Amino acid sequence: MNKTMLGVIDATKYIDTLESLTLNRCVAAIPFAGRYRLIDFVLSNMVNSGIESVAIFPKYQYRSLMDHLGSGKNWDLNRKRDGLFFFPSPDLNMPYEHVGAFEHFEQHIDYFLRSKQKYALICNSYTVCNIDYQMVLKRHIESECDITEVRHQGKSLEMFILETSLLLDLIINRNQTGYRSIIDVVRDHRHQLKICDYEYSGYVAVIDSIENYFAHSMELLHPMIWKQLFVKSRPIYTKVKDEPPTKYTSEAVVKNSIVANGCIIEGHVENSIIFRAVKVGKGTVIKNSIIMQKSQIGENCELDCVIIDKDVKVESDVALYGTVQQPFVIRKGTVQGALMNQ
Amino acid sequence: MLKKKCVAMLLAGGKGSRLSSLTKNLAKPAVPFGGKYRIIDFTLSNCTNSGIDTVGVLTQYQPLVLNSYIGIGSAWDLDRKNGGVTVLPPYAESSEVKWYTGTASAIYQNLNYIKQYDPEYVLILSGDHIYKMDYSQMLDYHIEKNADVTISVIEVPWSEASRFGIMNTNENMEILQFEEKPANPKNNLASMGIYIFKWSILKEYLEMDSRNPESSHDFGKDVIPLLLEEKKKLVAYPFRGYWKDVGTVKSLWEANMDLLKENCKLNLFDYSWRIYSVNPNQPPQYIAHDAIVTESLINEGCVVEGTVEHSVLFQGAHIGKGSIVKDSVIMPDAVIGENVYIEKAIVPSNIEIPNGTIIRPEQSFDEIILVTEELLEKQEPERMGSGE
Repeated sequence: MNKTMLGVIDATKYIDTLESLTLNRCVAAIPFAGRYRLIDFVLSNMVNSGIESVAIFPKYQYRSLMDHLGSGKNWDLNRKRDGLFFFPSPDLNMPYEHVGAFEHFEQHIDYFLRSKQKYALICNSYTVCNIDYQMVLKRHIESECDITEVRHQGKSLEMFILETSLLLDLIINRNQTGYRSIIDVVRDHRHQLKICDYEYSGYVAVIDSIENYFAHSMELLHPMIWKQLFVKSRPIYTKVKDEPPTKYTSEAVVKNSIVANGCIIEGHVENSIIFRAVKVGKGTVIKNSIIMQKSQIGENCELDCVIIDKDVKVESDVALYGTVQQPFVIRKGTVQGALMNQ
Repeated sequence: MLKKKCVAMLLAGGKGSRLSSLTKNLAKPAVPFGGKYRIIDFTLSNCTNSGIDTVGVLTQYQPLVLNSYIGIGSAWDLDRKNGGVTVLPPYAESSEVKWYTGTASAIYQNLNYIKQYDPEYVLILSGDHIYKMDYSQMLDYHIEKNADVTISVIEVPWSEASRFGIMNTNENMEILQFEEKPANPKNNLASMGIYIFKWSILKEYLEMDSRNPESSHDFGKDVIPLLLEEKKKLVAYPFRGYWKDVGTVKSLWEANMDLLKENCKLNLFDYSWRIYSVNPNQPPQYIAHDAIVTESLINEGCVVEGTVEHSVLFQGAHIGKGSIVKDSVIMPDAVIGENVYIEKAIVPSNIEIPNGTIIRPEQSFDEIILVTEELLEKQEPERMGSGE
């Protein structure tokens, strides 16, 4: 039974309120939890659930996503049979933006026609959790459902299981039925299909705004939440970087923080998330902040409630403040000098 | 097979018996080092960074961990269609089973592997040392000097020279004499166990050595003296940089501590010469609210709730509340309970240290403790008595 699902990740969605993090990347490629991208969670869940064929449907700014996924090797998806497929939208002007848009699927209908898997799992790219889809499938089959929607506390997680043949039907006949996406079908009650809910009770973070991104990142500092997301038997895979272990110098003070590899910490870091290969200079105090990959923070800086994107250089003696409600976001690749924000 | 200019042969069959229980179930090159690596990562990464893409790895002692670690070499970019890494275990021939009896016999028994690539030069390496070295520069030197054999040497303190294989050279760095652990050293250039041979010379002399029943089939003891006797051109290649033989518990500990120095000569953060390894793929490390972490190297997957001072923590290590880890090396997935005190120790992989345990050197400050299950059992009554 294990091999009978194929995975579809809809990475088309553009979210206005995440704009400062998505200038150079799609939502699926937003860095999260110190060393991951949002897509790592859904992709790893699929792989850990025995799915061996995954199709990714991106639309905007997918260069960094492709760079991240590569051949799929880090997820064990570089296969001769099945593996990882990448189906960018050929038409950026397709206006319909719901997750699971049939029009986009039809552009690559051969994938669905050729697939031998009996069931299809459709997911969005920005829901962070550690879920076993086999459990969902088991229930789907036992309850003889046509479509199962995964929910958390009553709210849709935009994860659907249905038979591949039904999905094909819906894609091909979309003009007759008027349903333009899987969500349209689930929300409508005029058809004869049996729609089921599956309540997932574990930890879930849906990243659909900067405030949410910040709040969910900070939640990871609670060990109880951390343990629900990072389970030894169901690891979250990501692109490996060959970074050395992180070095803490004699002046380092680190409290309640998540730190990835390859960092050099010489300052004070508290309640923060530090991504790979970040440098924190002497005398610098970082609190309640997220510092992404390869950013360099100079000496004697003061940062509170700040999100610093990749490759940012903060020169020495800079102070940057945001609030919990409105974290201050520094865009990728910029330089912050001491006199720039005065 | 396409012709290769230079093929590397990496001797990785050593038992490393002075590493005691650390090498009970694995070969010395597979011993963990530096918070993330295994010793062999340094040599394999040097090959990749030096542009050498054909590496035969000779294994013999406890090869399971090492074999599965090397895999098809993808961690070092050595999974190639032509060349790449090949693990070469001893094998049986129709007449007899041939164990590798010495370094030279190990290479001799794999001459067919080298022959496939019809190389001009063969680089012989050992998987026991921690260093970063550009072998392509050594090869250029070998070609420039038109040497038959080039041996990489490092200056050691005169006081320690009698512990090494010493090369006595003339002003042109030509080797006149090789002395294994001389009582009265005439020079302080120690062999690093890295050789570049002209392929034709290597083949000829290994065949000659194999026919000699008196030989112990060792490069240092037999093949090099034979070459000197025959007046071949042997040249020393002086290496300047960090190099350490981590053959004992103490030297393994020291090399780990070297990484914590402010101006460490072995820079792991040099992106132009990355040390590659099989990445454990664990979540980032979590440093808890009451933790204190200073002067340390900590890898992903660690959870620190206590104090870590001047120590190296490998992936998945867990330091419990109220515990103090000082001047120590904590290997992968070791779990240190609560209120534990550890000083100057190596804690091997997967060991669980119960709450309240105290581990520190008693007799002399020079001593490094290698924690074992037996040691922890002996500690049991003491712990009970301390009112834990």
